[in-house]
Amino acid sequence: MRAIIAYSVRVHTLRLMLLAAALCIPAALCAQTTIIVNDAVNVRSLSAKDILDIYTLNRVHWDDGTRISVFDLKGGKTKESFLAALGMTEEEFKRIWLRKQFTGKARPPRALATEEEVIDLVSRTPGAIGYVSERPAKNLPNVRIIAKVK
Amino acid sequence: MKRPLLFLVLLATGATAVTAQERDELQVFGSMQSVFMHQESQLKIRLAETGDILRQRESRSSFAVQQLDLFLSKEIDESFSAFIDLEFQANYSSEKHWGSLSLQEAWLNYHYDEGLNIKAGLLFPAFNHLNEIKNRLALLPYVFRPMVYERLLSTHFFNEDFIPEHAYLQVSGVHASGGVFFDYAAFAGNAEASYLSSTNPDGSIQSDINRDFEFLSGFDPSSLKLKLFGGRLGIRTRDEQWKAGVSFTHDYNNLRDTLAFGPYVLPPEARALLGDDAERIRLGADLSFRYGDFLFEGELIKVIYDYEPAEELKLHAEQGFAYGLLGYDILPSLTLYGSLQWGDYYFGVAADYFVYTTGAAWRFNEAITAKAQFIVYDELHENVVLTPGYLHADSHRVTLTFGFLGLSILL
Repeated sequence: MRAIIAYSVRVHTLRLMLLAAALCIPAALCAQTTIIVNDAVNVRSLSAKDILDIYTLNRVHWDDGTRISVFDLKGGKTKESFLAALGMTEEEFKRIWLRKQFTGKARPPRALATEEEVIDLVSRTPGAIGYVSERPAKNLPNVRIIAKVK
Repeated sequence: MKRPLLFLVLLATGATAVTAQERDELQVFGSMQSVFMHQESQLKIRLAETGDILRQRESRSSFAVQQLDLFLSKEIDESFSAFIDLEFQANYSSEKHWGSLSLQEAWLNYHYDEGLNIKAGLLFPAFNHLNEIKNRLALLPYVFRPMVYERLLSTHFFNEDFIPEHAYLQVSGVHASGGVFFDYAAFAGNAEASYLSSTNPDGSIQSDINRDFEFLSGFDPSSLKLKLFGGRLGIRTRDEQWKAGVSFTHDYNNLRDTLAFGPYVLPPEARALLGDDAERIRLGADLSFRYGDFLFEGELIKVIYDYEPAEELKLHAEQGFAYGLLGYDILPSLTLYGSLQWGDYYFGVAADYFVYTTGAAWRFNEAITAKAQFIVYDELHENVVLTPGYLHADSHRVTLTFGFLGLSILL
């Protein structure tokens, strides 16, 4: 039974990749990105606009007044997929972050090398948010999946 | 059995505390810009009495650390944060009396929610697009800022006639609606800098407002009536690619500060305007956007006076400024741009300013940007007294041509 499921997943993935290739879209852009928050964050769901506002540093506090600590990835396919889902480029984000930092309005997100570091720091930082590739929730201790973007 | 558990709990909470501490640490960062500048100047004066034309030319070039800014930022708790900007200008050296070191910003911000922030302390108020980032050279593609923001022209162009340099209290906020943010800001500050008492070389206090009151330099001895009040209303898209706004201020121009106007600037009839407080309103509008590889930023400023002596003498007193920059990212790391600026300065005598610039900014990496800019600055005065009682000119034209090469570095 497991072998059948694994086979069907592989076929489905291959189909998606072929479809992406046929549409001239990089496969990374079609991947789903999981938005995670520290388990203590008192918010149940986030819309795409909320995520954009948080990553453009226009929203720097949760509704209960806790500061939002934003984590970013230095690079990789998950980051490409995340940026594509928000419809912005890395340069656009960096320009916004720099202006916010240099005017004292907000601190830029901390960029981490690996998704494991993102999970680790989001799990240990009150008010934290980050993004990783799609993965089972049980592998994310002290971390809650709050949204998925594509 | 309980001890290892307690240890693990302590370890876990300790690790969390370290992260929280990291977030609350004082952050130090900055920017610096070094330049090489070459300048060609030409002065052309047409004498009123004889019609003769006098010409003068000069050329100069220099290396300089144009500006270095050190920023300190601290998130004190969930609601309070503090920010400091220390600015070193023009090869600053106290030993050699070069340049300047100044505290440009030092404020505490209280965040109630996204719709209400209260900033108290020395701050750049929200006025048009550029005022809050006027000394953040690393954020700007050019070397030489639009002239009302350019500190190198501050003594020549009376920047404060056009923009509010500093404020001390600002209430601001954001309201999200659909795909846009609405911004508001309202601020208050001291009267313009010339009202503030300063120190003479011998250490005594220099000011011509109220000598009896003055005992400390840097303080504003003027009445509440003369203070600065203003604000901005803005709209921007949620991805911040489009921004627009309108701004205004109300304060007074210190026409008691007669030393600010050199004898050649004003004809005798305009000097009759000096000696009082001139009520001043600055109106501003700004638009900036990025569309694909194009970028645009533009500003308009109109300064109007409600000043009885000017009306009695039928002398025109107002100022205007317009600026537009169009840029194109020819490569992801290379931006080319051109800009036009125009200013007029009516104060009994008419003066017009035109600035044409073109340049490039090449981002080597996230921290280093090489900049090049070519500038033509043209200033035309009419009906100018060159030497009181002796020389009078129909027109007085100064043309400066600058070439700048700069390196902008994020620290």
